[in-house]
Amino acid sequence: MIATQTIAIIGAAGNMGSAIAKSLAKGNYNLLLQASHVQKAQGVLNEIKKANPDISAEVINCSFEASWEADIIILAVPYQAEQVVAEKIREVANQKIVISVSNPLNSTYNGLLTNELSAAEELQDLLPNAKVVKAFNTTFKADFEKPFIKDTQVDAFIAGDNKEAVATVKELIETVGFRAVNAGGLSVSRTLERMQLLLIQLSVANNYNWHAGWKVLHN
Amino acid sequence: MYEVYFHNFKKRVALTEEEEALIKSYLSVKKIRKRQFLLQEDDVCKTIAFVEHGMLRSFSVDDAGSEHILQFAAEGWFISDMLSFLTEEPATFNIEAVENSELVLISKSAHEELLKLSPKYETFIRELITNAYIALQKRINANNSQSIEERYEDFIHNYPDITKRVPQHMIASYMGTTPETISRIRKRLTTRK
Ligand SMILES: NC(=O)c1ccc[n+]([C@@H]2O[C@H](COP(=O)([O-])OP(=O)(O)OC[C@H]3O[C@@H](n4cnc5c(N)ncnc54)[C@H](OP(=O)(O)O)[C@@H]3O)[C@@H](O)[C@H]2O)c1
Repeated sequence: MIATQTIAIIGAAGNMGSAIAKSLAKGNYNLLLQASHVQKAQGVLNEIKKANPDISAEVINCSFEASWEADIIILAVPYQAEQVVAEKIREVANQKIVISVSNPLNSTYNGLLTNELSAAEELQDLLPNAKVVKAFNTTFKADFEKPFIKDTQVDAFIAGDNKEAVATVKELIETVGFRAVNAGGLSVSRTLERMQLLLIQLSVANNYNWHAGWKVLHN
Repeated sequence: MYEVYFHNFKKRVALTEEEEALIKSYLSVKKIRKRQFLLQEDDVCKTIAFVEHGMLRSFSVDDAGSEHILQFAAEGWFISDMLSFLTEEPATFNIEAVENSELVLISKSAHEELLKLSPKYETFIRELITNAYIALQKRINANNSQSIEERYEDFIHNYPDITKRVPQHMIASYMGTTPETISRIRKRLTTRK
């Protein structure tokens, strides 16, 4: 048996944070749902407890405290908020896995706010002693509830430099129900963030209704 | 967060600010709640935990389901399944928080990096492991040669703090006896006084 790991979800009341929290509740994890006001995440917690009565999960308003207690930290906040959150949690994120889910989209969805580096690489620079892994950014919120689209399992891509951290994140992705695809080192996150830009543009142009995903076909 | 750790470190080996910063960059801090596990039997032990605050215990469970406590670790002590940590074989012990605790953790890979980078870290770890070895040898010797009364008296004398903080059944499990026997010994000790 493996000792239950504690996952802090920063921004758990948001679209992604709540979707990730609900999906991970199916696995054997302790969940800490962080929101700036605990009432905001209370509804998410209630839903999780209803579906998984035995789960150990609670809401918490302090990102520092949540990250201190965590083995794995998921930053489910907008790109623009990452720097502030990173500064708050820096000391307690040391040597821990920090998952970057953000897509640094501009306000018109026709480009990215980042320059050469990806949002995940910028986060790694902000948290130099953490193990930053890019994951969950190429899937929409609706995919978490339905990880199969017309009978096809959605792929979810991972990019990270630390092998053990990537292996742990792969388990989280499989818990959610996606097929995990290890895309390579953290610099590959530049591609992953652009893939989501394209998927958003396609979703708007073709009315995918925000339930779409990527699939790598192979033999 | 790291105060007890570095206080302990500097008692043994002096550190410059840069050396402390280097070592700190390889450590992580974690809070753990009472009854949560840091390690479960059969998993590979990947960390050494140093207790900043609180208390942990390591124990095995026999085929009949009884627990046997190997060690308590309070503030300033470290705890791990060293056999599993060093050989990467599955752990034979569980490590559980007896109280809400704050830990300083070092992973196997960070530990190995630091051994290469910092001779002072190596000295510190060597001293910790040497002391743990001495404590273990004393304990085995006591188990083989002393009566349960003598061992209990030594325990409450050497660890008055742990005696107060952990339930009696855990002390019994640590001594390899039953809570009833510990109760009888305690009664005898109080009437003797
Ligand atoms: N929505 C999707 O389908 C999707 C898909 C892939 C990736 N993502 C990425 O996931 C991240 C979160 O997206 P989301 O759709 O979940 O956003 P959201 O619903 O707006 O949630 C973001 C959460 O972040 C917190 N936050 C902290 N600082 C903030 C700030 N300065 N401005 C706004 N919110 C702040 C808020 O929680 P508190 O008020 O409690 O602090 C909020 O609940 C983004 O980086 C996005 O690119 C989203």
